Amino acid sequence: MENTVVKKKRTKLDRKMDKIKALEESGALKKQKKVNRYLRKFMNNKLAVAGVIVFVIILIACFAAPLFTKYDPGTIDVLNRLQPPTKEHILGTDKLGRDVFTRLLYGGQVSIVVGLGSALGAAFIGVTLGCYAGYKGGLLDNLIMRVSELMMSFPRIILVLLLVTIVGQSLSNLLIIFICTGWASMYRMARAQMLSLREEEYVQALKAFGINDFVIAFKHMLPNALGPISVNITLSTAMFILQETALSYLGLGVPLDISTWGNILNAAQDLRILKESYWMWLPVGLTISLFVLSVNFIGDGLRDSTDPTQQG
Amino acid sequence: MAIGLISALLFLEGVLNLLTYILRRVLYLIPMLLIITFLVYLGLELMPGDAIDFMASPDTIAMMSPEDLDNLRETLGLNDPFIIRYFKWLGQIFQGNFGYSLSTGVAIKDIVFDRLPATVELATIALIFSSLFGSLLGVLSALKRGSLADNALSIAGMIGVSIPQFFFGLVAILFFALQLHWFPHGGRTLPGYETFLDRLPHLILPSLVMSLTMTAGVMRYARTSMLDSMNKDFIKTARSKGVPEWRVNLVHGLRVAMTPVVVLIGFRLPMLIGGAVVIEQIFQWPGIGSEFIGAVRSQNVPLVMMISLLSVSAVLLASVIVDIVTALLDPRVKLD
Repeated sequence: MENTVVKKKRTKLDRKMDKIKALEESGALKKQKKVNRYLRKFMNNKLAVAGVIVFVIILIACFAAPLFTKYDPGTIDVLNRLQPPTKEHILGTDKLGRDVFTRLLYGGQVSIVVGLGSALGAAFIGVTLGCYAGYKGGLLDNLIMRVSELMMSFPRIILVLLLVTIVGQSLSNLLIIFICTGWASMYRMARAQMLSLREEEYVQALKAFGINDFVIAFKHMLPNALGPISVNITLSTAMFILQETALSYLGLGVPLDISTWGNILNAAQDLRILKESYWMWLPVGLTISLFVLSVNFIGDGLRDSTDPTQQG
Repeated sequence: MAIGLISALLFLEGVLNLLTYILRRVLYLIPMLLIITFLVYLGLELMPGDAIDFMASPDTIAMMSPEDLDNLRETLGLNDPFIIRYFKWLGQIFQGNFGYSLSTGVAIKDIVFDRLPATVELATIALIFSSLFGSLLGVLSALKRGSLADNALSIAGMIGVSIPQFFFGLVAILFFALQLHWFPHGGRTLPGYETFLDRLPHLILPSLVMSLTMTAGVMRYARTSMLDSMNKDFIKTARSKGVPEWRVNLVHGLRVAMTPVVVLIGFRLPMLIGGAVVIEQIFQWPGIGSEFIGAVRSQNVPLVMMISLLSVSAVLLASVIVDIVTALLDPRVKLD
């Protein structure tokens, strides 16, 4: 009699403990411990995992584009222009008869490369400078700090468009402009990390041993700042993709003959297309949003798993 | 008596500290502006084309003989060394002479005065709406942390920062202007309709799109800031004193949480100008932003340079004002 009462009182927590006990006995927990702690934390974040899945799907679809479509993104087919979606053309065709689905896939390649490339380039410059100048301090740090302040007082899109006016419009120019305008915030982030790491005892010890400044900054301190840096690269990728699409939509980004996500949306500047040919811009816009969203979720997940102060 | 004197002296010292701080912040603007104007002038000089084209109005140039043109060159100082040319140009800027647009020959000052009110109107509404709405949602979400509403708001905020602003604008135009015909799809006024009420329908859609995309950012920031302040010791002290929960949240927590949010709102100005560029283009809003896009498209270098210069100056000025306001609001801000 008493036994059944006790059984009824078993709470959710008891059942959880039982599960953990069973896992422990079967030896499953031991295996799990070998997995990186950060990775495990990351995998527990459902949104971040969903982000990774969507990210990988879009990435594969874009970079293995010939497997998914038989058309060429540049082939003009005047007879089949402005076709709504059919079995032949899943997302219809545009003003010149090009297959929109094909352009979406190939355009993704360029947009993703521009976004990721700019973020990595900006991170390379910003982190290299920030790491060394942040550790050394002094005149060099002061000087770079002033330059970055100068750059960051420009509204981003104004600075980018100003540079576009000066150097002209091309794919490589756009990449260079993005890197030139993006390194400043990376520099500040890396510098802030270095400033707090500089006071750690192991750094003082290395200094006392007379180890080379470069070695201390890049070999011993930088690895401890990789968490925030990777978060920043991820979030910057999302931002650069948004910037590329906005600029190309305005017709001022990547030249129009190269398919990018922004360039496809450029067609929607025409009100008639906006109203009557939804297939030419709506799926592309949704894809961009989904991709950027997935990258942002990954970035947030990375932050939660690497930065203990951001928990909760 | 003596105590009164000491406290008066301390107060005076505080005021003096604040004044020197304000002075230092304002003086700090000068080298920044000098460097920026110098870069802008360098850009103007290096770009192809004759400098005289954007220093004198095209009408006067067209009327002149070659000798007169040479004289004008001399009086404008175009034959002087570069540094002197720069300072003469700077003097002109301070007198409000920004030069002339390459494409239309209109004075840039007139273009700016013509276009600025539209942008200010749009940006002010977006700033007010997004600040109020964003901080309200952020604080609510922090107080109900971990709840369904908090999670939903967090995800909504994430979606808000992930959708390209112009795509959001396009969808809004499609639904509310082209399908439902609730609002016009672009422009600011119709000919013959001049009052604010006439303009209101034109204003709603662009300002709403701009506000909503900015709300997401403020909300995320306000949530973190509020969570941060609710973890502080003085909140625990207030609770243990028996202060009612709503007072703890709204009086003790919120006041401290709002300082960084105010700072953020001040620093939104660059985003406001940047956001206005794209939104104005989509809604054919006749503000500075769409003028800027037009200038970039037609390689109208003087106009591009001057609008950039003005927007940077506005941002720098705003950041100084924000610094001063936070120093006035929060006594813990270090005045050095």
